[in-house]
Amino acid sequence: MTLIDKLANREDLISPGISACVGCNVELTLRTVLKILGPNTVLAVPPGCMGGVGVVGWDKKAGAKIPVFFPLLDNVASMLAGIRLGFNARGRDAHVVAFAGDGATVDAGFQALSGAAERGDRILYICYDNEGYMNTGYQRSSSTSKGSWTSTTPVSREGKGGKAQHRKDFPLIMALHDLPYVATASPAFIPDLVRKVERAMEVRDGLAYIHIYNPCPTGWSFKAEDSIAISRLSVKSRFFPLWESRGRKLTITVREQRPVPVADYVAKIGKFRHLGPEGIAELQALTDERYRYLEAMEKSGAGGDGTGA
Amino acid sequence: MEKDYIAPVGEGLYIARTGDWRTRRPQLDQASCRRCGICLMYCPVNSIVRSEAGEYSIDYEFCKGCGICSVECPAKSISMHAAVRA
Repeated sequence: MTLIDKLANREDLISPGISACVGCNVELTLRTVLKILGPNTVLAVPPGCMGGVGVVGWDKKAGAKIPVFFPLLDNVASMLAGIRLGFNARGRDAHVVAFAGDGATVDAGFQALSGAAERGDRILYICYDNEGYMNTGYQRSSSTSKGSWTSTTPVSREGKGGKAQHRKDFPLIMALHDLPYVATASPAFIPDLVRKVERAMEVRDGLAYIHIYNPCPTGWSFKAEDSIAISRLSVKSRFFPLWESRGRKLTITVREQRPVPVADYVAKIGKFRHLGPEGIAELQALTDERYRYLEAMEKSGAGGDGTGA
Repeated sequence: MEKDYIAPVGEGLYIARTGDWRTRRPQLDQASCRRCGICLMYCPVNSIVRSEAGEYSIDYEFCKGCGICSVECPAKSISMHAAVRA
């Protein structure tokens, strides 16, 4: 069965009409991921875009054809750990899955997630990272890139301002919990994304984590139809490289031998419009530095899986 | 409380009529379509349908008219047109 066969034939487990923005690639990500996970899945969607657009549901009606829960912003992983224990006690197996934004993962939910990772709770945690609190009008998060305009890091008429700090390298932080499976993914690379979800589904010995980078047309200000093209540029410029790891064995899964300049990526995005050559050069330098670090990890990690074995 | 809910699994499916949002309507040209399925892979609303014979068509009921399919189609078989209300 080819990938297109899978995507064409499997049931869409989300309501056919959810009020995600026009061109939202998180909606694409969610529908795709759930086609792969299948109906034997319990889903937790905390406050965030996907909660807000109706995936959890409104007024006694559900937004998905599978059980979907609405945890708090900061306890997603803890709640799922409890669901897993409940299933274990009843001798049932199911995919216990979080679909949470970067606010609920990288900021508010980090403590609960890190705890579940360290305990080895068997859950699949998926973070859709659109670099901020888009659902409430784009406040900055610790996943927002340096230089970004957000509603809490405004830009003056002279073009000064934007976020002063660069984004946390969060998937790497998760990988350093020595998890059985961690991956980064992009809605522009669906075959890569699907393969990673399938690998994460096979994990039996702990928490699997997938970090998906979702450029947001509404919050970042670009055209809806460019939603996938811009996601693709984020990978092709190595701004958000795609890799997977098992323990400390890290592998880059999409290699861009001749990466496009970060300038070409940011040029299409409104939230970076004020950046001059210096600001763009700084983003390029940060991108290069992080990619070199990733390559060094890939090289050095060949010897161990983090368990000392 | 009328009923005690242990989880918001609900009494049915919440469905927003997102087809009403459309300001542009994608049109698929069957003659130049290569049947590659890339539109189906990238449609955020799952509005591309593949028939048993492997032909693709657009289901307009929930299509929001984002235009991703027209940008991504390698054969440039999908064009966007101003939506006309029926």
